[in-house]
Amino acid sequence: MSQCSISSLRKGPITVISLILITCALMLCASAAFPRLALIFDDIKHPAFEVKSVLSRFVSGGDKAGEIEIVIGELKVQDYVWKNIRLSCGTFQYGRTAMQCEDGYVRIPEFIAFPVAFHVFFDAQTLTIKGFPAKNESWEVALQWNNISWQGVVTIHDISLDSIAKWLPDQEKVPMPGDGRVSGNVSFSGNGADLRTAAMDLSIEKLAFSDRGGLHAGDNISLLLKGGINRAPHQSRWHWHSDVYWQQGEVFWQPIYMAGSDHYLNLQGIFDGETIRLMESAVKLNGLGVFDFSGILDLSSKQLSTLELKADGVRLSALYEQLLQPFLRNTAFAEIQLTGDVDWLVRVEDGVVQSLQIDFDEVSIVDARNRFAFYRINAHIPWLFEGATVADISFLSGHVLSIPLGEVRVPLELNQFDIFLPQVTLPVLDGHLKLENFGAKYTEDGWRWKFNGGLTPISMEALTNVLQTQPMHGTLSGYIPEVNFDGNTVSVNGVLQLSVFDGSIVMHNLKLIEPMGLAPHLMADIAMRNLDLELLTGTFSFGKVEGRVDIDVQNLELANWVPVHFDAHLFSSSGSYSRRISQAAIENISALGGKGAVAAIQRSILRFFEEFRYAEIGWRCKLRLNICYMGGIDAEPESRYTLIQGGGVPAITVIGYNREVGWQELISRLQRITSENEPIIQ
Amino acid sequence: MVNCTKYYLLLLCLLFASIPVLGYAEADLEINSPAISSIKQRMQSRHSELVEYYNSGAVGLTQDGMVMVRNANAVSLAKRQHVNSLVSAENQDRNALYREIARANNHPEWESKIRSTFGERWINLARSGWWYQAGGRWTQK
Repeated sequence: MSQCSISSLRKGPITVISLILITCALMLCASAAFPRLALIFDDIKHPAFEVKSVLSRFVSGGDKAGEIEIVIGELKVQDYVWKNIRLSCGTFQYGRTAMQCEDGYVRIPEFIAFPVAFHVFFDAQTLTIKGFPAKNESWEVALQWNNISWQGVVTIHDISLDSIAKWLPDQEKVPMPGDGRVSGNVSFSGNGADLRTAAMDLSIEKLAFSDRGGLHAGDNISLLLKGGINRAPHQSRWHWHSDVYWQQGEVFWQPIYMAGSDHYLNLQGIFDGETIRLMESAVKLNGLGVFDFSGILDLSSKQLSTLELKADGVRLSALYEQLLQPFLRNTAFAEIQLTGDVDWLVRVEDGVVQSLQIDFDEVSIVDARNRFAFYRINAHIPWLFEGATVADISFLSGHVLSIPLGEVRVPLELNQFDIFLPQVTLPVLDGHLKLENFGAKYTEDGWRWKFNGGLTPISMEALTNVLQTQPMHGTLSGYIPEVNFDGNTVSVNGVLQLSVFDGSIVMHNLKLIEPMGLAPHLMADIAMRNLDLELLTGTFSFGKVEGRVDIDVQNLELANWVPVHFDAHLFSSSGSYSRRISQAAIENISALGGKGAVAAIQRSILRFFEEFRYAEIGWRCKLRLNICYMGGIDAEPESRYTLIQGGGVPAITVIGYNREVGWQELISRLQRITSENEPIIQ
Repeated sequence: MVNCTKYYLLLLCLLFASIPVLGYAEADLEINSPAISSIKQRMQSRHSELVEYYNSGAVGLTQDGMVMVRNANAVSLAKRQHVNSLVSAENQDRNALYREIARANNHPEWESKIRSTFGERWINLARSGWWYQAGGRWTQK
């Protein structure tokens, strides 16, 4: 009888239970002769577990009943070790066809201690074990077998997940369940030593988990888990499928936070012992869309040998808010508003993206800090890891640093991490910005790019209007030499030439550090030649000035688009031209110099003439630490300096006395003068 | 909110006032520029939000003049991303502040020294109960 029982149980799936039953069977065989019996096993080894020091005691109570106790000194399953496991049964009943215990108890110090019950019916070949870990919590393992096959069901009723956490290794970065309850069942069947099918149908309520740092945590989560795995006879391939229904809850998985309900994950595929093949799997994130994926996971290397991700009609606004934004915090896209849809198809092999296809449908990108915006972007962007492709990108309108851009469509040549655009013409206000030989490259330090080009005339009135700066007349046009960006700084290699106010502007050493950073720095040396003063001052409420000037601005530095340093010198251009200045302009120039500048002119004389003649105009300003150190036509060291040197009839000379003016004060005066119709007379 | 702002202003004043005597006489750490002003303004307006997380221990001060999420468990799940954003934005501003002060002094190469000086002072001026890093370990003040 004992041999029969042992051989049957060895074919079963639960080896520890088998051990216990074998122990019981051995004791029962001997119990007929000995009313008290103790058995000791020093060491039992199995590939799946190791048991040390097993002590079994049986005290016969007569009439096929008695007390039984089994103490396992140490049980080791993989890396888990439990000590002093105690199984006891006060009323153990046995017979030829059955063994049973209704009031058993299992205890593992510091882990578990709860009542258990079991029944074995040898004729029916069934085994049932029940556990009652806590009030209203229970589980049951029911096994049935015959000479060919076996099957079982584990039924779980409202088991606390908190108690399961005790069994898991305590690691700092591994999330541990802190709350939650699980119910449902897991069924399985097999032949001989082989598992053939398994299925689960579990529901988890109010799940909470967290790692120690709280960087991977969830709360109040309700899930439904369904799945199955099966294998045809004599085949090594397992077909499996699983569905996870996310009913409610919230998760923070650094840096992503997701909440809500009705998310869904479907996984299915084939497992052959060496690889897991994902087939036609999908995740549906409510509010975002459905993401399809498939691939092959190589178990020996623990790497995805292939992966394909596909999504259609994903709402970019939700994608950005829920998934992308945390990853873009330190980029120019940290705070943007996105609208429109995106489709993508990504193929990855051996951890490397082999191909990518992104399609934008009526997408708009607007920077919250108003540095840039692009509206109604439509794009088809194919990309290959090996090989060249052409992307088709268009947008209807936009602006960069407040400069508006018109509709444009570009064929972008892509070759691995190189982007090339032979030529594109961007409508800018009433002119065009022509970019040639635009090339961009992605490196370890980020994006680098360069281009050259030109600017066909755009109206200064329109440009100053959109830049919300002082209105100016004339046009702006020019040649743009090679401009490049090294990941931190935009530099112009050569001179940038512009035409404005009927004169020319040449910029040397132009650099823009961190153009999209928190405090962009612009540096340049600028030489302006032959500017028409009438055009320059014409739309200012400054007063009319006829003539031409040259302006040198050396060592110019703007921080956050505000001047912090320069050496400026404005002086009359050489040559013959009309040199007249209105009464209003004289008074305003005098006012700019502060009190005292006007002292050189007679207010009574001013009243007689509308215009005066002059020989030269000159003004100097060295800006240092918010102070403008002023000078006039000559670099005189005296306390006074000449701003306007009279010449002809009627002539006027304006002398300045105030050498130091706060930059903000100077700007305020200029803004007052140019925003009011009446000139300031101090 | 008003108290927070006052505290922040006081903190900044003390910070800037105390730094020139730290053996860093050549650098003018009180120097101002439009960029520095706008960075300080952003940091000041953010401080009233951050102070709650300094108090709870969720965010601490690092030795290199930055802030860091120290214990996310002190913040509800829904707010953890927001705290990350605050910390990220604060660190961007702090980096920019140190860089701009170095630039305004015409010595961009002083940035790392300015950063470590600021780091030390931020910790010295932190409120009781706030957490800071010392020797790579978190310590409560």
